Amino acid sequence: MPTIKLQSSDGEVFPVDVEIAKQSVTIKTMLDDLGMEDEEEEIVPLPNVNAAILKKVIQWATYHKDDPPAPEDDENKEKRTDDITSWDADFLKVDQGTLFELILASNYLDIKGLLDVTCKTVANMIKGKTPEEIRKTFNIKNDFTPSEEEQVRKENEWCEEK
Amino acid sequence: MDMVAGAGGMFGQLAVGLAGGFMGDQLIPGNMRMSQKMSTKPTIDSLPDKVLLRIFSYLPHKEVVENSLVNKKWHMIAQDPRLWVFVSLRPDISGLHVERAETLTKLIPTKFKELKYLEITTELITPHVLQDLAKYCLQLSHLYLDFSQASQLHDFTDLSAFPTRLRYMCICLSDVIFLDNFMKRIYSFINGLEVLHIVGTYENAEDEEGEVYEVINIKILKQATPNLRVISLYGIAFLDDSHIEAFSSNCIQLQVLNVNYCSRVKGASLKILLQRCKNLKCLLLQQTSLESEHVMTAEWDKVTNLQELDITATDVSKECLLEMLPRIPAIRWLSAGQLDGFTDTVLKTWMETANLKELTALDLDSSDNLSEDAIQAFLNVFGPQLVGLSLSGMPHVTDTLWIEILPKLSNARILVLGCSTRMSVKVHVDHLIDGIARHCSKVERVEFRWDNDTLRFSDKNQKAIDLIRTRCTKLQCFVLSDGRLYEIMRGNFERADRKAVVRTTIACRVTLHYLLKHYQEMLFA
Repeated sequence: MPTIKLQSSDGEVFPVDVEIAKQSVTIKTMLDDLGMEDEEEEIVPLPNVNAAILKKVIQWATYHKDDPPAPEDDENKEKRTDDITSWDADFLKVDQGTLFELILASNYLDIKGLLDVTCKTVANMIKGKTPEEIRKTFNIKNDFTPSEEEQVRKENEWCEEK
Repeated sequence: MDMVAGAGGMFGQLAVGLAGGFMGDQLIPGNMRMSQKMSTKPTIDSLPDKVLLRIFSYLPHKEVVENSLVNKKWHMIAQDPRLWVFVSLRPDISGLHVERAETLTKLIPTKFKELKYLEITTELITPHVLQDLAKYCLQLSHLYLDFSQASQLHDFTDLSAFPTRLRYMCICLSDVIFLDNFMKRIYSFINGLEVLHIVGTYENAEDEEGEVYEVINIKILKQATPNLRVISLYGIAFLDDSHIEAFSSNCIQLQVLNVNYCSRVKGASLKILLQRCKNLKCLLLQQTSLESEHVMTAEWDKVTNLQELDITATDVSKECLLEMLPRIPAIRWLSAGQLDGFTDTVLKTWMETANLKELTALDLDSSDNLSEDAIQAFLNVFGPQLVGLSLSGMPHVTDTLWIEILPKLSNARILVLGCSTRMSVKVHVDHLIDGIARHCSKVERVEFRWDNDTLRFSDKNQKAIDLIRTRCTKLQCFVLSDGRLYEIMRGNFERADRKAVVRTTIACRVTLHYLLKHYQEMLFA
């Protein structure tokens, strides 16, 4: 089975099965554009992904290599977030920083399945929380002035609860 | 290869170690401290807007609105029209509550300009709102107009525009509000409709004595909508065969007709419907007042495309079933429950004379006149091809029979078992769950309708649940009555982070309707 070498931002090189690596649309496009020449020799540099995260991404892609293609976005009225498989849930039991790194990596590498499940995980962390609780959870600074905040509150009145 | 990786790693360490300075043999801890400092971990603020937008798309609209208070960036994202593509403004059905039409008209040109799907109720259905939808929401393809709570309509005399790209429309009727003045204004805009749902008041009909008004003129409506593929007329008190005949004369592309719970339908229109609509694939007649003589005159042997049929809870006789069922050329999905006429003879004749090669779904709910032996004989032959099977509502179909037939049901994705009436015998669920786990690895939805007091389980219970959880990885819904077993199963699945799988019969029902080809369009969602 042909492999390619992926190089992380901090210089570590990971040999990966081509079919697994192609779950990344970014890598797939790159390979298709380059044309797969006599394999092996090319090293693909991934300047936005460090070794620790790349290792996790490869682990995820290896586990999911036989998954059917992720369904198209849109067209679905209510998006579920309670359908994360237990393997993925375990895989994503990481600190917030790592979770966001995984999101950034899957966004950069364009791996829809991983981006979906990581975004869902964040959505679940947001769900049911008040704005203040959200700020606390994610360490977000409130950059509204009191009067601006009041204005947003007014603006939101259009869909007040019944 | 390992050499390269190793070398890369070493260089990395060395470089950082040098930068870290004179740490000597404490090189490693120094390295760690440095790298933590240099590559600061990203926070939620580091995510690109596009990604934050994706995260928001998983939140209910009410929360999206609330979250705009978090900070300026979140405020901006929450306004993005891409979050407002499917919008329900029906507060009773968990939609947002917008009180005034003026508020809505302010939102339409901005936040709502990407709308594809909109649900609105009487107060918001004004000429101004509809015209603005036509003007600004060029993607709008689905419109759900809920008049069910209406006491008075707005005046539509001046309505000059209406969304013209609608493919799907749903109208919820009220018993007493006549829609003709409104409909007259929109007929010229809706000829692109492919899917039409009209929902009657069956579900909230309390006084059956009251007068029945024909609140919408179906015979004119059908002229305006020649391109309908799916017509769903649900629980409409006034609807009768003449209306079905009207649609069948004008909508020759019809593929799905649903008149479930329209009690004035007797079946006199079936003959014409089947003659004219040659593309008809799906015909749902549950809880109508079908009369056997009408049903028998229809030419069932000519409906080569008919694959799905629901005649549950009608009055068709045994003779009628014997006559019609074997004639249908290639049935795929049959719901024929609650029929006194569905006897062992009917089942036996059907299986011996009909073409059942395509049959994949069968619902025989509450067929009191079917014996266990007949059911078992049928499933011995056809069990392996069934994707959905419901044998609910029959006290005599217990775990004993299911244990016999489960080995045949290796392709089942949906199973409905049990009977909610109090029974004298107990049903032992452990080996039932075990049997499903062992034989039906493709199963997605299961419902046990037995009463909590009927269910028996032992200390082997957890083992069986573990087995179904690990073997049936596609299982997304296991419904059972509230009680001990429900608690135990829910706990087991929750510990494995599959929270939403186990539900009670109050919150969820399993039916074979998921297996209809046009299920999505039937849902109107």
